[in-house]
Amino acid sequence: MLKVDQLVKTFGGMTALAGISLTVPDRSILGVLGMNGSGKTTMLNCINGIYEATSGEISLDGVSLIGKAPHAVFTEGVGRTFQVPRIFPQMSLLENLAVALLNKGLSNAQVAEISAHWLNKVELYRLRHNYAEELSGGQQKLLELARIMVANPKLVLLDEPFAGVNPSLALLLIGIIREMPQEVGCSVMLVSHDLTSVYELSDNILVMHEGHVLAEGNAEAIQKNPDVIEAYLGA
Amino acid sequence: MSDETRETRIEAQNPLSASQNNPEKTSHIKSLIWGGVVTLIILAFLPVPLFTTNLSFMFYMMLWLTMATSFNFVAGMAGYMPFGYVAFYGIGAYATGVLYKTFGLPIPIALAGAAAAGVAIGLLLAPTLRLKGVYFGIVSLALAMAMKLIISLMPAKITGGSLGLILSSANDPTMAYYAMFAVLLGALAAGTWLSMSRLGIALRAIRDDREAAEVVGVNVVRTRLKAWVMATMFPSLVGGVEAWYTNAIDLESSFNLLVTAKSIVYAMAGGLGFLVGPIVGASALYGIDQLIWRHFPTLNLLILGVVIIALMLLLPRGIVGAFAQRFSRFRRFIP
Repeated sequence: MLKVDQLVKTFGGMTALAGISLTVPDRSILGVLGMNGSGKTTMLNCINGIYEATSGEISLDGVSLIGKAPHAVFTEGVGRTFQVPRIFPQMSLLENLAVALLNKGLSNAQVAEISAHWLNKVELYRLRHNYAEELSGGQQKLLELARIMVANPKLVLLDEPFAGVNPSLALLLIGIIREMPQEVGCSVMLVSHDLTSVYELSDNILVMHEGHVLAEGNAEAIQKNPDVIEAYLGA
Repeated sequence: MSDETRETRIEAQNPLSASQNNPEKTSHIKSLIWGGVVTLIILAFLPVPLFTTNLSFMFYMMLWLTMATSFNFVAGMAGYMPFGYVAFYGIGAYATGVLYKTFGLPIPIALAGAAAAGVAIGLLLAPTLRLKGVYFGIVSLALAMAMKLIISLMPAKITGGSLGLILSSANDPTMAYYAMFAVLLGALAAGTWLSMSRLGIALRAIRDDREAAEVVGVNVVRTRLKAWVMATMFPSLVGGVEAWYTNAIDLESSFNLLVTAKSIVYAMAGGLGFLVGPIVGASALYGIDQLIWRHFPTLNLLILGVVIIALMLLLPRGIVGAFAQRFSRFRRFIP
């Protein structure tokens, strides 16, 4: 279970996160909505160690993630994708996945087996020896997702997974994300502007506004929340 | 129909596709090509002292092959650009000279000391491995300047002062030639191991996207440190062996920035990131350099500069990189 308590992140005089608290229970999906600049990506960056939190506490299954470097946070079981996919372009798809398994102490055969499973899952298996730069933007998003899933994470942070993805790949992504909590046993934090997907996939939704939590609840409650309607939905 | 079944059918119809999708076969072809290149290198350099006493051309060819290959460890595999790479060459030269001349140690031990000195200075620079891109390059350049200054300020009875050190009593060009041959083979072996090992995968991930690599569990600083140690050892050995070969060490030639510049240019001209890139680049450009030198001694650097500019403009990814780009289906076979 991920617990974030009173998380504050400032950049000089600007406060990006002003005391965010949230919980992501095991095997659940938390959708995170918010306008540009509301602090969604900053929060992900603090959770996975790219940014050091100014104050507050972040813990996964009771283990504090504060002060840990991104590679150490990954070792604790936190995988993360980016809004613009960050694949390794000059490496094959198999090598991209192998990077995430380097410190797992697995044999080459085990690495190949796990990688093949996830490449099949994201329908990229036939391209496994191609260079990642040869993939379309949507396929790169799928590869990035597979790259963290091979490591069997406890928590997956997805930053705008549907942005720039064509409808058929988006459907594939939605299917995979939906299955993740039960099939893989991980929790998911889904940051997206795609309201339909967030409403459909999330067990719980958090709406952020200017570094604060504006509202939290299930899809129905969020859609009826007057603060959310005023600040975010605008209708 | 599963992906595997569909793929088997495609492979049966297209042999190239079959080898592309068969990692063992691809790896085998790649190994064969690399094995062929290394065999050619051995055959080209090993018997030379049996046929001639003028070893200079081949000696310096090996020197630049080693410098470009080891430069590729950091620049091509880890994405660093150490502008002060000459620092290790100079440290190696002086460590060899001081250990031999001042402390009376035999040349092999002096060379081992040179490698150790290079690695030790490289480790001192380890905290700066956190720096990104050009900042690390600038720090390494400052190191080269600082090392030159420190050696110039050391007592003349140790470093020879402004006159430098003369190692005439160690004169043995043939043995020095074979020492350089051994260093070259060592660099090629290290490159082969790096490209095939898990460390190599981690390094290439860092080169492609440092932050993404860190986010999927790669300890960037520790990984870079391993490559850095290897990359500092070889120029130190090269500097030491060259000092033995020429029997002369002085500050200006040992810390000449042209050493870094040539290492960069030769490696880039061939293609950074490929094992064969520095081999092709150093062989071609050093050959051209010598031809120009022989026919236009006064215009040597000018003409070489024009050749390099043309190469960078026309083939920005280097000769091997351009081939890989043009014939992308063969790229996976290029070591």
